[in-house]
Amino acid sequence: MNWLSDISSTMLTELFITLTVLILAVFSMFYNVKYNKVSKWIALCGIGVSLFALKYLQLEPIYYAFNDAILSDTFTVFIKGLILISSFLIVLLSKRNAKQRYHKTFQFYAILLTGVLASLFIVSANDFLTLTVALELLSFATYFLIAYKKGYLSKEASFKYLVTNAFSTAVYLMGVSYLYGITGSFNFSSINNYFLQHSPTLLYAISTIFITLGLFFKLALLPFANWILDVYEGCATSIIVFIATIPKIAMIAVLARLLAFSLSYSFELSLVILILSVLTAIWANILAIKQKNILRLLACSSSANAAYMVFTLTLVSVYNLSTVLFYLITYIFMNIGVFAAIIVLENSNYSSKLHEFKGFAYSNPLFTLAFSVCIFGLAGFPITAGFISKLYLFSAIVRSGAIFIPFLLILMLTIVVSCYYYTNVVKLMFEKNETNYNEIIHHNAYSPIVILYTCAFITIIIGICPATLIEICKYIAYNL
Amino acid sequence: MNWLSLNVLVFSPLIMTLILLTPMFSGHHILIRRISKGFASLHFVYTLLFLVFFNNDLTLNYETSLKLFDFDWLNSLGITLSMGLDGISLLFVILSSFIILIATIASKGIIKSKQSLYYALIFIVETAILGVFCAQDMFEFFMFWELELIPMYFLIGLWGEESTAKKSAMKFLLYTFFGSLFMLCGFLMLYNFNFISTNELTANMNLIGFNYDNVPFYLQVFASILMLIGFAVKMPIIPLHTWLPDAHTDAPAPVSIILAGLLLKMGAYGIIRFNIQILPDAFLMMVPYLVVFAFINIVFASIVAYYQTDVKKIIAYSSISVMGIILLGLCSLNFVGISGAIFLMIAHAVISAGLFFIVGIIYRRTGTREILQLGGLAKVMPRLAGFTLVFIAASIGIPGLIVFVGEFLVFFGAFISTIWNTYLIQIISLLSITVLIFSACYALKLLHGVFYGNLLERWKKVNDILNHELVVLLTLSVVAVLFGIMPMTILNMIKLNVQNILMAFGG
Repeated sequence: MNWLSDISSTMLTELFITLTVLILAVFSMFYNVKYNKVSKWIALCGIGVSLFALKYLQLEPIYYAFNDAILSDTFTVFIKGLILISSFLIVLLSKRNAKQRYHKTFQFYAILLTGVLASLFIVSANDFLTLTVALELLSFATYFLIAYKKGYLSKEASFKYLVTNAFSTAVYLMGVSYLYGITGSFNFSSINNYFLQHSPTLLYAISTIFITLGLFFKLALLPFANWILDVYEGCATSIIVFIATIPKIAMIAVLARLLAFSLSYSFELSLVILILSVLTAIWANILAIKQKNILRLLACSSSANAAYMVFTLTLVSVYNLSTVLFYLITYIFMNIGVFAAIIVLENSNYSSKLHEFKGFAYSNPLFTLAFSVCIFGLAGFPITAGFISKLYLFSAIVRSGAIFIPFLLILMLTIVVSCYYYTNVVKLMFEKNETNYNEIIHHNAYSPIVILYTCAFITIIIGICPATLIEICKYIAYNL
Repeated sequence: MNWLSLNVLVFSPLIMTLILLTPMFSGHHILIRRISKGFASLHFVYTLLFLVFFNNDLTLNYETSLKLFDFDWLNSLGITLSMGLDGISLLFVILSSFIILIATIASKGIIKSKQSLYYALIFIVETAILGVFCAQDMFEFFMFWELELIPMYFLIGLWGEESTAKKSAMKFLLYTFFGSLFMLCGFLMLYNFNFISTNELTANMNLIGFNYDNVPFYLQVFASILMLIGFAVKMPIIPLHTWLPDAHTDAPAPVSIILAGLLLKMGAYGIIRFNIQILPDAFLMMVPYLVVFAFINIVFASIVAYYQTDVKKIIAYSSISVMGIILLGLCSLNFVGISGAIFLMIAHAVISAGLFFIVGIIYRRTGTREILQLGGLAKVMPRLAGFTLVFIAASIGIPGLIVFVGEFLVFFGAFISTIWNTYLIQIISLLSITVLIFSACYALKLLHGVFYGNLLERWKKVNDILNHELVVLLTLSVVAVLFGIMPMTILNMIKLNVQNILMAFGG
């Protein structure tokens, strides 16, 4: 019974998430609206059990399952843990958004967890076929989630996402088929072995560039970045948290694996990625200056941060990978914190327009403090985790060679620009607002505010003593 | 001396911040102010104790490193929170504590709203500045350097001029952030190439300065320029100076005191510590260009200052001019010049603190800082006019007062500088001395325009200075006179360290 041991040592988490999705789907057919609360608890339990199941996955040596289609090692388990923790937080945040559409919360959580499941598969894929299927699954889940909100904007956003994704997938598949044509295999390991023996050709360079460009879609890097502003504005806020975190983690993980092994023989690819990520950083940060809506602003910032990470990831080394992981973790927590603050505001019937933030500092000092900590963390000021992660990331870029220092200076200029718009958000909260005295009403939802404070606290704690997390990241990076 | 701990020195203001932000003080404005003043005075006394027990030799005194939760901070990257004091940094630590004390006393009556937040931010700034002066590790230096940005932004933006302060504060923030990121890039280069050449992962300033020879020369120059951009924004050196007049004008008087007294000195301190001490060869190469920049600073800022009508802008531009003189002193690269530059930094901190405070007093009573709308105030404010005369005289460089010593040493040092064979620096120092006549022009214009001439009807009921203002001005003028008469007390303190720095240039 080989497949049983395959499942038990590589896919236990996926199994439990699948079961949860099925339970939610089945219950959505029978259950009455008044049992809606149960759906959230089922989803949370499913994620909790899967987190617990991570403990039983095989770490060392690397376990290849299902004819090398799936693998499990320290890196995948770590990334899966990160995905599950953030999806746990997302489920906690999406209480209000889930109820928006005819109270079909069971379906909402089922689709959400399908997206999580797809991301878990992306992380553990060792095969372009598995990766493609998982990517498509993630995309389908995201279409539905974006369109879930009522109104015209979400449909537009969903359609935009669909069209751009279709195009990027086509590009990606073209690259994969070229690579298959060269090597005769879909498997990451065999492709790597092939190029250890044969020298790479121009076709290899083209195919790697196509594959990476296709993967850039979900990170919103430049050729496929135009969807992100409209999607962030159009869909429900907790779905934005999903789009901003989970596909990003999965994509960074799969890019790390691909760039470290099967795509690592192409100099042209590195050049293309470097140029594209620098262009994305410039584009996104300049676009963010004029935004009047905090969601659109965060869309730009998300694109820019992905660019910083991908830039560092391209200069492949173990040290760089550890810095990217550290950056990813801190970024995820700060980002979730910021979105939790926005959800708190939404629950109190504020819109996401920036000018409505005026005067919060005087009516809600503690909320403002937590929110500012997360925002300043994104901007990279000291005592927050963002400072350490930026410092660490830049040290990796400088270590890669003196030739990258001009690139780094360009990235730093874009960070100065980002400092402007992040500080602007906090500045608005300190502006006087005499006409209407802002008061945040927490309704019944305590989870967003608790998550906001937790994320702000984590941001500060990592900023003060980052040593443990850095050691963990180094350990994980050495084990890829 | 276990009870003289640098950790206590640097982090106690931060703890004070946390105490001030607790809800138990909300509403007790007078109590908050008194506690802050009390703490600032205690802190100043504590720093003086460091001076008393300071034994002046070449090794660093009072070295400590902070351990947080049993980890050396970022030990895996070779970054530690280690602090140390030598003569130069001790001088600046005492200056910082003193200026912060002056600023807290000066805040009375000027700061009327959100007092607990205000004093909390002031103390964060104090921690940051002390950290910069004590840091022994590049990234620790950088962290404290950045830490001061956000509190300073809010201090300028929230308590400054209603209409324009937020914009100026943002300008200050962006300029400094831009400079500091370039500086970070320079630090990372040093850190990385030191690692490549010695295979030792460390960011300790002394160790990196010890091994600088291993870095290729073109990279040394590159790193030196990048760091210099960061310091030049702060100092400021002229193409990067535009944040300063705006920030000074819009900030409330105590914050202007901190800006002029401490933040500008951080830039010059950084040049001494990094450009001169760690990368001497690269600095030697850049000196001819820097001298030209220093000259532009002196001339341009003096001329611009003369044509300003806002009193605060005059003082702000005069600060830029003085920083040019300091840069000239640093460029002379001999004992007299560098000691003079350091002395002038102290002198300028004291004098500009006094002048900004005087402007604050006038602004609080009249609501204007335009020279054209003021005049004749000496009739109603004779004591203030007397103190202003002292500070104006000092800033012109009247012998016997503090600035004279610094300027004299700088120009003397520049004139006897034998670093190059050309006479560039001699010519520039001669030209600069002649240009100093402008400083007398704008200073006397200020004095005349504000205190003499016709007294307008509406200023007839203006009060003279109050007790706390008297205390501040008296302290500052006593310092100005005292160190003008006995400059050797300060110069002896930094003598060995300056000689140590100059070893790299052949004595």
